[in-house]
Amino acid sequence: MARRWAPWLALGLLVVAVVVVAAWPSSSGSDAQRIRALEHEFKCPECQGLSVADSEAPTSKAIRTDIRARIAAGQSDAQIRQAYIDRYGESILLKPQQDGLGLVVWVLPVLALGLGATGIVFAMQRARREPRLHPTEADEDLVARARTR
Amino acid sequence: MKHPARVAAILAGVCVLAFAVVLAVNVGNDPSEEARTSELFGKAAPAFDLPTLDGSRVTLDGLVGKVVVVNFWNTWCAPCQEEHPALKRFYARHQNDADFAMVGIVRDDTRAAVRKWVAAEDIGWTIAIDPDSLAALDFGTRGQPETYVISPGGQIVASKFGAATVPELETMLATGRRS
Repeated sequence: MARRWAPWLALGLLVVAVVVVAAWPSSSGSDAQRIRALEHEFKCPECQGLSVADSEAPTSKAIRTDIRARIAAGQSDAQIRQAYIDRYGESILLKPQQDGLGLVVWVLPVLALGLGATGIVFAMQRARREPRLHPTEADEDLVARARTR
Repeated sequence: MKHPARVAAILAGVCVLAFAVVLAVNVGNDPSEEARTSELFGKAAPAFDLPTLDGSRVTLDGLVGKVVVVNFWNTWCAPCQEEHPALKRFYARHQNDADFAMVGIVRDDTRAAVRKWVAAEDIGWTIAIDPDSLAALDFGTRGQPETYVISPGGQIVASKFGAATVPELETMLATGRRS
């Protein structure tokens, strides 16, 4: 019985772990770490697919200076993030936010992968328990005759 | 449960389908399209208090009651250079309007280069310098040139990313006057 429910328990734990990791607020490190993390989090507004950290565009340089000033002024990462979302919209973030619809984008692929893997495990267990081909009487007879030769 | 593998496969399929729906919905939101729309549209314009090229200061508070055209630019930016004849024609038409003000905010340039450009081009509107590009960030600019129109009540009512033409500037000004 316990063996039967073990995969479901494992799946449940996987889902809970994914949700907790996705929803957990980012830990606050040193100022330098926070600056580096935020610079990599924001997209350069005048480039294609480059982070503020990787861009030498004037706007990126200005954002880097502004992030440092805001952190020095005591603003939290969430406040800084929100200030930029207010001005530029969600598109300023290189990755979707990990809440609301953004959380769905993070969780669904992992959930699909977990469920798919569980399905495969169940299918393999079943295949091991129940052989796909059952020998007919004619098959048994054929094998018996072959053995007596 | 009789067929756990089948149930898991169906659930996985549902997840994949839901993910596809989320992707499909977001594919419709063209990021470049989003980038052409100011997030500040309809909101209060960011306050600014900037040094001008002639040594004084310009503040948004000091322009309350007027339609304010704010143009972000740099001398080294080719589209800004292309836009300037249109700005000059537009300004010449409205410079004597009591309800009109125009401010050119230099995002990232040297004072010397700006001074030289303004003198050569005989620019009459207020030119402000934006140290550290903070005003540019407050307006959510994505480059230059960018033009914003602020209503007499202080709201951003129109914006243009890229070089604006005279008809576009006139339309934006009319929007500001109606607001």
